Amino acid sequence: MALLEVLNLTKTFGGLSANQDISFSVQEGELVGIIGPNGAGKTTLFNCISGFYPVSSGKVIFNGKNITALKAHETARRGLARTFQIYAASGDLTVIENVMVGCFMRTRSRSKAQAAAEEILNEFNLTGIGDVFVGELPVAVQKRVTMATALGSGPRLLLLDEVAAGLTPNEIEEIMANIRHIHSHLGIAVMLIEHVMELVMKVSDRVMVLDYGRKIADGPPRTVAKDPEVIKAYLGERFVREHQEML
Amino acid sequence: METLKSAFDFSDFPRLDISIAGIIAIFLLVFPLFSHSAFAMATMIQFLMFSVYGMGWNTIGGYGGQVDLGKAQYVGIGAYTTAVLLIRWNIPFWFSMPLGVCLAMAWSFIIGYPLFRLKGHYFAIATIATSLVLMDLFSVWEFVGAARGLEISPIKYHYPDFWRLIFKKDIYYYYVILGFFFVGILYVNGFRRSRLGFQLRSIRDNEEMASSLGINVHWAKIKTYAIATAFVSVVGSFHACYIKNIEPQDTMGLDLSILIALMAMLGGAGSLWGPIIGAAVLIPLKSYLKAWLGGAAGLAGIDLVIYAVIIMLISALEPRGIWGIVEKVRRRRWQ
Ligand SMILES: Nc1ncnc2c1ncn2[C@@H]1O[C@H](COP(=O)(O)OP(=O)(O)OP(=O)(O)O)[C@@H](O)[C@H]1O
Ligand SMILES: [Mg+2]
Repeated sequence: MALLEVLNLTKTFGGLSANQDISFSVQEGELVGIIGPNGAGKTTLFNCISGFYPVSSGKVIFNGKNITALKAHETARRGLARTFQIYAASGDLTVIENVMVGCFMRTRSRSKAQAAAEEILNEFNLTGIGDVFVGELPVAVQKRVTMATALGSGPRLLLLDEVAAGLTPNEIEEIMANIRHIHSHLGIAVMLIEHVMELVMKVSDRVMVLDYGRKIADGPPRTVAKDPEVIKAYLGERFVREHQEML
Repeated sequence: METLKSAFDFSDFPRLDISIAGIIAIFLLVFPLFSHSAFAMATMIQFLMFSVYGMGWNTIGGYGGQVDLGKAQYVGIGAYTTAVLLIRWNIPFWFSMPLGVCLAMAWSFIIGYPLFRLKGHYFAIATIATSLVLMDLFSVWEFVGAARGLEISPIKYHYPDFWRLIFKKDIYYYYVILGFFFVGILYVNGFRRSRLGFQLRSIRDNEEMASSLGINVHWAKIKTYAIATAFVSVVGSFHACYIKNIEPQDTMGLDLSILIALMAMLGGAGSLWGPIIGAAVLIPLKSYLKAWLGGAAGLAGIDLVIYAVIIMLISALEPRGIWGIVEKVRRRRWQ
């Protein structure tokens, strides 16, 4: 049985279909990349799955249960964590406090939450900055704190929305190490929206492409990158020429 | 057990803070033993009462960031519960006070449920509007004395009556409210690092992020609103026994609601010491203004103007109030 199953999901805003009849599934422990041009409906898809938007039609099945009508905090409690494209962690809280908020989903005890948070910071190579306010950190580190916070809630599926946007190659390396840790070491399933192709193509087991709200491709990274429709809609001829060796 | 331990754990404050807090605590404990004027004593009691009001407000308003301008109605519920039960059935404070807390919290759920569907300025305005419902009701309700209010006649009791909190000397009232003051500090100290405390700070920062971490934002706010309500209701009950004369206007009015919020905001919303600092500044100012304006009817309301100016200054200069300035200076010094 798949961990997540999305069936004929449609989301309209007024006349606009941000998601149009999208179906796919994610297996336990799988890492699925999602790419597509700006406005393709990627973030909207996350919002529908995680209960931030009510869907217009279709179904979301998670872990065998229909979660389509659940609110955001309810999907979170069932093991669905996410990060946000537009904001990072809470700036008024310190790094460890942020992660503890996540950990408090699993326990009432402060000492347990703190111990769990310290362990995650350790795994994320964020030790030493636990007591720094997140607002005072560089964006790249803030993004990693957000991921650590989401991880604190103990998810079975983690939705990451453009965690590498605007970062330097070195910073992307660090993020990639964190994602690998979540996926390979902890075995948590991940869905990853990303415009940074190097990252998506390297880490994904499978890549899904959205365009104008529709799913236009879904398959292994190499296959998807050679798909003429994907090249036309998103990647462009130049990308394929320049990334021959990667593909 | 862990909760109790964390209430007494102040180890995350710098040593300087703990020393100053200790000195102030000792001063508060011994203050009545030194010779003092009745005015000074009355001002100190007011200071302690408003500190506790502010501590309560600080849970939802400070840590939770929900600017609540309607806390006075719950002061009124506490005060009226205690006064009515004492006058009609001779029921002592230590029974009526917890009952008042229960009634106030029940009412806070009824008010809080729809209220917290609103956000930001709409929320703040709605807290004002809903806070005046009870005051209007009590102003015409004969059972509770309507607009005249209620008076506890002390002649009926033998001084000092610890069960009913009827004393002749203010020093008794002083130590009772000082006890509540210390309990309040310990409670908030535990609260700020409890699960709910963390969740509220997360909500203040970003509600969407909070709900993505499994926090039921609406419910967390309602719960905390009820906690804040319990604080002010206790002081309301105390107020009834101490002042012995309660009216709808001064236990449930908008002035009181604004003053409560102002204490915490001026001193530092979302910090443990903030409400105490705010009360230490504002209560002497309030007493002074009252003495200065006296019965000058034409000037009535000028105190509200001054409070309004303070609110504007805080929001323009330092939303974190006096404590925010202290922390800023400190951090600059360390860097
Ligand atoms: N709350 C909303 N109300 C109205 N329209 C919306 C809303 N959210 C998204 N949209 C619209 O839905 C479409 C898809 O937006 P979405 O944010 O999902 O795109 P995206 O693929 O995440 O793009 P990007 O790569 O720029 O982040 C856009 O046309 C957007 O304007
Ligand atoms: Mg997006």
